[in-house]
Amino acid sequence: MSIIVQLLINGIMAGSIYALIASGFSLIYSVAKFMHFAHGSVVTVSAFFLFLLVGILKFPFALGAILTVVFGALLGLLINLVCYKPLRNRKATNAVLLIASLALFIFFQSLMIALFGADIKTIRRGAISTGINIFGGIITELQIIIVIVSVVLLVLLWLFMKKTKIGKAMRAVADNKEVAQTVGINPEKIYNITFIVGSAIAGIAAVLIALEQNIEPNMGFSLIIKGFTGSIIGGISSVPGAVLGSYLLGLVENLGIWYLPSGYKDAIAFFLLFIFLLIRPQGILGLKKGVGAK
Amino acid sequence: MIEAYLIHILILICIYIVLAVSLDLAVGFTGMLNMGHVAFFGIGAYTSALLVLAGVPFWIGLIAGAILAGIAGFILALPTSKLRGDYLALATLGFAFIIESFMKNWVSVTRGPLGLPGIPRPSFFGFTISSQLGYLIFAFIVMLICVLLIVKIEKSPFGRMLEAVRDDDVAAKTLGKNVRMTRSLGLIVSAFFAGIAGCLYAHYISFIDPTTFSLLEVILLFSIIIVGGLGSSKGAIVGTIILLILPEPLRFLGFPSSIVGPARQMLYALILLLIIYFKPKGLFGRVQLGET
Repeated sequence: MSIIVQLLINGIMAGSIYALIASGFSLIYSVAKFMHFAHGSVVTVSAFFLFLLVGILKFPFALGAILTVVFGALLGLLINLVCYKPLRNRKATNAVLLIASLALFIFFQSLMIALFGADIKTIRRGAISTGINIFGGIITELQIIIVIVSVVLLVLLWLFMKKTKIGKAMRAVADNKEVAQTVGINPEKIYNITFIVGSAIAGIAAVLIALEQNIEPNMGFSLIIKGFTGSIIGGISSVPGAVLGSYLLGLVENLGIWYLPSGYKDAIAFFLLFIFLLIRPQGILGLKKGVGAK
Repeated sequence: MIEAYLIHILILICIYIVLAVSLDLAVGFTGMLNMGHVAFFGIGAYTSALLVLAGVPFWIGLIAGAILAGIAGFILALPTSKLRGDYLALATLGFAFIIESFMKNWVSVTRGPLGLPGIPRPSFFGFTISSQLGYLIFAFIVMLICVLLIVKIEKSPFGRMLEAVRDDDVAAKTLGKNVRMTRSLGLIVSAFFAGIAGCLYAHYISFIDPTTFSLLEVILLFSIIIVGGLGSSKGAIVGTIILLILPEPLRFLGFPSSIVGPARQMLYALILLLIIYFKPKGLFGRVQLGET
């Protein structure tokens, strides 16, 4: 019994982190229509930025965290302006943008290895708490905070998309770029905002990950895999779907290692991805758009 | 010393030409954005290495590696042959990742992260290719046979069908061609040759571990075929030579080796970005990435 509870807690924990990454990833996908693989490196680079501020330069943690989120947002904007925008101006297809984002991903990962070394870094604050016992499973205060922060953020993102003018403009561009243009929405501006919002969430995810786990230059790959698997399971063109898919992934993965060696944890994500690509490529909540299209 | 170094680079170039030309068969000719090529490379390497370490003759290991990679291509084609563009890219990348996690976790067979050391050099009927120069000649001959075969396939009616499916699958369907079958066959043939490259690699370096077949390798392979230009075997060959030689000066600039590795990867990533921006068709490309 207590094992199941613990695995469920771990699943929800993992799902919360994945949901933050998946929501930014699918937000960018639904608006800009390509897979921004380098979203994973925004998380990694932001986490190392936090390490630089708090771990090396000894900034107070709260200040470091805020600066990290700002840094993440700016990094996302910079990637869009320097790399994707010129390619879009050249009418690059989404496959070209995908390759470009993969190249960026490798670039940043190697840059982090060159700057900080390949070893694991820790930004842990205070003593490790013993945690709270719930039905035999243990959850730490920090983990509860992470789950709450991520749920609150996701609700805020949803409200932002539904209620604000910018959110509506983003959905308009996502739905039909040409029509949005005719009513006076500048798509490039909307892309910039989308990258800022999505990457700021990635920055927050970076802070939470840095608090809870260790950071290393290679962590972005596993994270972005979970992010896009969550997105695709839930339906990549729908942000609520991506969130749902991420929690589902977190749970399946953690319950899966009950049977399988824990080394296969990352592979479980891809098995799930394959099953969905086979049976329901548009995901649970997604529209059938773009999957088999040219 | 310098001679041994040159021969080493040349052997690697031969191996990567097989990899690049076979990848181009899938990406350039069939129009499938296959990012899992490195998995076939790995399957070929592990199969052949494990068999030969178990005492099987080299040539059986070579054929078994290639066939098993081809079977893996078939398995990958089953769920993915109807997917397109970026979905296909992700699914194939996922496949590479699953294969990598088997290499890492199936410890009883692959020894996991420890890798397989002491893979013997190829020997035929009692004659072992032990010298560097001998291996270069061997790798060159295998490379030449593979490239000629692939070019022959590309020029054959089947090759034209691959291109037809790439350029307009609806038209190909109207003419009664089985599009999914054609794409699957393209992937299987491509995987088969990647398996051969894997075998060449394993028996040359004599040590393989899962990190040899990681995502980093995918970027190198894509840089090669995009720099050379898609849909052109000549492009894939020239691309391989350029990209394998280009980062070599980094070795002599006196950087510590902990910097040389990442710097090499950054260089590849930058080249890839610059080429898709300034010259999306590469040097000899006939088609552009994602045009299909």
